[in-house]
Amino acid sequence: MKFEIIMINKFTRMLALSLIAVMTLYCPHVVAKTPVLEIEIKDHLFFPATIEIPANTKVKLLIINRDSTSEEFESYDLNREKVIAGNRKAVIFVGPLSVGEYEFFGEFYPKTAQGKIVVIANE
Amino acid sequence: MFLNSVILIFQETLEAAILMSVLLVFARINGIRPTWIIFAIAAGLVGALIFAFNMADISDWFDYVGQEVMNALIQLIIILCLTVFIALQSLRSRVTVSRHQNLIYITCMVAVVSLAMTREGSEIFIYIGMVLQQPEYIRPTLTGTGIGAGIGISCGTLLYYGLLGLPPRWAPVCGATLLALVSGNFASQAILNLTQADWLPYTKILWDSSVWLPEGSLQGHLLFAFFGYEATPSILQGIAYIAGMLFIGLSAYVGYRAAVHGKKLQPRGELVK
Repeated sequence: MKFEIIMINKFTRMLALSLIAVMTLYCPHVVAKTPVLEIEIKDHLFFPATIEIPANTKVKLLIINRDSTSEEFESYDLNREKVIAGNRKAVIFVGPLSVGEYEFFGEFYPKTAQGKIVVIANE
Repeated sequence: MFLNSVILIFQETLEAAILMSVLLVFARINGIRPTWIIFAIAAGLVGALIFAFNMADISDWFDYVGQEVMNALIQLIIILCLTVFIALQSLRSRVTVSRHQNLIYITCMVAVVSLAMTREGSEIFIYIGMVLQQPEYIRPTLTGTGIGAGIGISCGTLLYYGLLGLPPRWAPVCGATLLALVSGNFASQAILNLTQADWLPYTKILWDSSVWLPEGSLQGHLLFAFFGYEATPSILQGIAYIAGMLFIGLSAYVGYRAAVHGKKLQPRGELVK
């Protein structure tokens, strides 16, 4: 009986420690702060149209839609898709990415709304 | 704007059309009247309108990642409904089910179609709403929307008659396989949404086939709708895809076991052999 209680306590402690370890590893607020990059949508164009980010770094894209109409941020290269309502903002997390160019576009205005993320090697 | 509308609406319609066709085939095999689809479409349209009108506010939830979280939630509920549906389908293909079980079976079909329509339809409504603000684009957009939806629905109709044309033993097997693929696809998409929202950790890419089969190509769109094809899926997405398919396989097995040992799912002795 005593042995069982000791084992249960040990198990509970290990479970709690594992949970804390997982939360520490994955909780975005505990890990080093994610860099934020702002992109604006105006007249169905992305500003800036080209963004440089360091390799192997997760970034938070803050997309502000200054148009009154909705737009859908879409990127096959980044595997990202999100509707952004007119005069609203949205957050999209991308990366960590390897060195290269990753194109994105506005699905509702694909001819004009085009941009790319250039991932550069860390110094 | 015309061509853009055709492509956009086609890809949004196709996924729901495939789901509808497969479920309609199952309903027909089981002698269920197709009135359920009217309720499902009506609920889907209402859901899509509500979702579209509130998309801006939903997006602001959870520190601006509400859209991803809601999409993932809808996808996970669809998987759950498909799991219950397949278990009951597996059961009813061997024994006669009770009225209660039949009601759950139909509810699952209605829920799957209406939720899939809510998610995909909301984007169509947002797109059309956006175009209506610019009179010069209304005509080409609406024409493109009609053609895109027409092609998507035609694909669904072809699939429906294709499945019905199969030997009676093979139609349910092929239908269940397609639903397993859809479940895997939704599980993978849910993981992608939660990764995009930073609720799940980033995992490395499983493969990169973007050069020889781009996602944006017609083949890429078709393969996405049927198999959830992605040119650069993550390891976590791959695991979720397999898990989503296994869920369906496992639920079919549970239904089979329940049919063999009738009492397991027969609390009130309603199962008639």
